[in-house]
This record gives sequence, C-alpha cells and structure tokens, in this order.
Amino acid sequence: MSDLSSLIKAIVAGDRDKAVQFTNEALRAGVKSSDIITKGLQPGMATVGEKFSSGEYFLPDMLMAARAMKTALEVLQPLLTKAGMPTIGRVVIGTVQGDMHDIGKNVVATFLGGSGFEVFDLGLNVPDQQFIDAVREKKANILGLSALLTTTMPAMGRIIKELEKVGLRSRVKIIVGGAPITPQYAKFIGADAYAHDGGEAIPVCKQLVGK
Amino acid sequence: MAMTHRQRILAAARGEHLDKAPFGARIDLWYGYHLAHGTLPKKYQGWSLVDILRDQGSGILYRGYAIVKEKYLDMEVIEKTAPPYISTEYRTPIGIIAKKEVLDTSEGALVKYEMEKLFKSVKDYPVIRYVFEHTEPVDDFATYNRMRAEVGEDGLVLTGAQFWSPVQRVMREIMGYDVFFYELADRPAEVESLIEVMKDLSRRKLRLALKSDMEIFNVCANWSDDIHTPVFRKYFIPWFQEVCDFLHSHGRLTMAHVDGEMRRLNPFFKETRIDVAEAVTPAPQTRVPMKEFREQLGENVTIWGGIPSILFEPMYSDKEFDDYIKNLFQEAAPGYRLILGMGDNLPFDGNIERVGWVVELIDKYGKLPIQV
Repeated sequence: MSDLSSLIKAIVAGDRDKAVQFTNEALRAGVKSSDIITKGLQPGMATVGEKFSSGEYFLPDMLMAARAMKTALEVLQPLLTKAGMPTIGRVVIGTVQGDMHDIGKNVVATFLGGSGFEVFDLGLNVPDQQFIDAVREKKANILGLSALLTTTMPAMGRIIKELEKVGLRSRVKIIVGGAPITPQYAKFIGADAYAHDGGEAIPVCKQLVGK
Repeated sequence: MAMTHRQRILAAARGEHLDKAPFGARIDLWYGYHLAHGTLPKKYQGWSLVDILRDQGSGILYRGYAIVKEKYLDMEVIEKTAPPYISTEYRTPIGIIAKKEVLDTSEGALVKYEMEKLFKSVKDYPVIRYVFEHTEPVDDFATYNRMRAEVGEDGLVLTGAQFWSPVQRVMREIMGYDVFFYELADRPAEVESLIEVMKDLSRRKLRLALKSDMEIFNVCANWSDDIHTPVFRKYFIPWFQEVCDFLHSHGRLTMAHVDGEMRRLNPFFKETRIDVAEAVTPAPQTRVPMKEFREQLGENVTIWGGIPSILFEPMYSDKEFDDYIKNLFQEAAPGYRLILGMGDNLPFDGNIERVGWVVELIDKYGKLPIQV
C-alpha cells in the first residue's frame, strides 16, 4: 500500500493543494478511497484536533486543515458514491432556536465529518422540533446542540425533555457546547456529554459511540 | 464627601487606590428580555434599567451602541425590509455589494445579525474599499448624552462594537470568521489593503468622537482565543498601541470587551496599552481562573468583571454564589485595579437580587487591600 504519511502531513499543515496532490497520487497507486479516508484524512484531522486541544494549534489552523480535507474529499467523492462513505456513527448537529452563532458548531461538524462520522448539519436558529425530526429520520447516534447565548441555552434542556417524551432519548446520545455551556450545565439538563471545542468533541463523540 | 459610583469606577480604571472595590453592573440583556416579554419582576414593572440598578445599590454599566454614525457618499444605498430580513445594497460607480441581516429578538432587545456578509468573492475587494473610502463619520451624540444624563453620577455609558479594531471589523462584519482566515492565507495583500481602509475610517471616527465627553472608549469587542494569536500580534497590537496613545494624549481611557476564552490572548494584553479589560469572565464559564487573569494582565490593567453570567442563574445556589465572590476577592488580591462586574451581562433567567447581594458581599469581603 502507498504510504499516506505525506497526505497526513498535508492535512496537518492545512495545505489543500498538497492534500489534493497526495490524494491523487494514492489513487494512482491503487489505494482504495476508503483507505485514503480512514488511514490518511482521518488520522490527519485527529492530529490537528490533538494539537488544538494541547494549545499548539489555533482555531484558524483547524479551519485550514478542514478545508484541505474537504478539498481532498471532493476528489474522492465520485468513487465514494459507488462504495459508500465509511462511517463510525451518525451525528445530527445544529445551533438552537434563536441563536445566530455558528463558528464553533461549524468547526465541530467539520471535525466530526473528518473523523469518520456522518454529519447532518441543520445549521443555525434550528427549531426544537427540527432536531427531534432529524434524530428520528436520520437514525442519529449522537445529537449535538450548540448555543452561544444564555437566552437560548434553555432550548437544550427542552429538546432533551421532548426526546424523552417521544421515546427517542434512549436511542441517541446528546453532546452540548457553546460559550455559556459548562460540564455542570450539561449534567444539569441531562445531556450525556460536553465538549469545549472541536478538538475535544472528536474523542468525546467516539467514546459516546463506543469507538 | 463620599465618592460617587462614577468617580469610583473611573478612579479604579486609572489605577487609583480605593477603600473598597467598585461595582459596575450590566443588566441590559436581562432588562431588555423581560421588558419585551412583560415579565419584569412585579416590584420593577414600569421601572427603568437605571432605576433598578440604583435600587440594587450598584454602579451602572450602561451600553449605548453608537456615538458616531456612518454616512455614505458618492453611492446609492438601497435598503429593503422584508421582516425579519433587511437587505442592503451599496451601488457604487465601480460595482455593487450587498448584505442581508436578520432582526432577532431572542436577547430581548432587537439585534441585527448578518446572514450574508458584504464580501462574497474576490471581485468585491475594490467595491468594499470604495464604500469605506467614501464613508464619512457623523456625530450622533444625542442618544449618548441622554443616557449620560439618565445615569448621572451612578455609572458610565459605554459604546458597543463601533470602535472595534479595523481588522476585527473585516474579520467579523465584512467577511465572516472562516472566510477571513481563508482569504488571509490565499490573498493577504487584498485583506491588508481592506484593513488599511478601515484604519483610516476608524481614525476619522475616533477624532470626531473626541468631541463627546466619553471617559472610556471601548476599542475592541468580543475578544476570545478565536482571534488567532499570530494575527493578533501582527494586526491588532500595533493598532491598539496607536489608538491608546492617541486617546491617552487627549486624557481618555481605553477598554476592550474580553468575555471569551482568554488564556492565549491574556499574555499580550499589556502590550496593547489598553487600560481596562471589561467583561472578564473567569472559570467556571471559561477555563481561566481569576488568579490567572490578575497575574497575566499585570498591575497596569484594570479588570472590570469577574462574575460569570452563569453564576446568576438558578443552577448555582446562594451558597455557591457567595463562595464564588469570596474566592474571587482572594484571587484578585490586593484588589486594586478591580471593578466588579458581569462577564458579560445578567442572563435573562438570572436573579436580579444577586446584584444587590454583590454590593453586600463587597462590604463584607471587598475592603482594600484584600488580605490573603
């Protein structure tokens, strides 16, 4: 098998041109697209997440890495449509109703996508019912809720209660995050987990789906 | 004669030693929400924000949003409203740019959020430069003067984001966070030319604002570690140094609204020459304890804040609130250059009575110098 270390390095460096170059080289060398993802792109993104959590990388470094990964994925997309994207779990994610902030949520969504999760990003200002419907329709393993305002964070607790009411709560793990959210608040509203940032969200979500 | 709240806050901002820590509370989010929903506590129905804080016994941080407005010359500006959206087109001789905003009342008071930024592609650079090169600052002191008269000696009126640093304006308002960093990586010269145009406009706005009697200028809004540290060093610090030197030479003070995660930016604060770090939000709402804020910001920066918003929520018991304030004073010892305040506001479900309680706790634990 072709050595994917150059691709990993390109992702870690956030270099999209090189990420595309090494993806094409791997394909020409006969590496399966699924292996390029699981053994090249995903380890690269995992390293970026670790560097962010340790303080070495900044949020823009994560954005550049995510852009490089997305560009490489576009190369693989036509092949993946036939073979299907390898996934370790389905995540529905969004910013709760009344909240127009999405930088943090976008980073988390991108990183989960780059780490092997199938991500359904509902966007921002998402009504409670839309989360419930998406959890049901997408058969989500994880629901990610984001809020930046103290006025909007109560929506998280409401959604959890509604999931209980409609019998979906036991089927989905819930992770919450955002500026005013703390681990104590996550516990207070009955969420399963809290993540401070995109780097932290990856291992927490993997743990939630037993990976 | 006893000093007023305003005098005490300004003295602490200048680094003068007081007998106890002043308190400048901010409750506009809580007030706006309950006023809009008709849910102010029975006692306070029909009261103004200022009178509620007077009743609680605290000093007042009263936020206005602008003292200088922007007037667009040599272009046609067309605004179309289709609630909740507002679309604005800037038709210039060299091209058209547009933005779309949504009016949101989730925070109580009406707030505009940009759904579509002015910058959409590389062809927008010259048009955006044109728009801001042909923007003239005009004073809008009437609202400020009214608020100033309303507050009197009981606090200060501060502006919102209007004087935020030019690079932050490009980052947050013109491009959006992620696009800014992609553009800075792909087309740094274009981004820098835009920042220069914004600097020129900011200088003209600041010169005009000096005609007001505003004591403390909020020169940058919403700091957090999201601002890339290398970008902060290269683009933010030189600007703050210029602005601080300019405002200091006219006898004014400067502040930055720093209510985010600050571990990475705190070590650079001293270099900016900004006088006040406002809305400082320690753990548990962020990861930085008050002690670290105090040590990192040093002896020449006044901290205004220290009480995270979430502490006012029912999730935290009265005892936890009391213990937090007591510990806050210990971590901020000896307590000079400290103005108690919220990081950054009383939340909508916060307990207003805890504002008055802070006043009592200052009498109990906040006598200066604080002995550890």
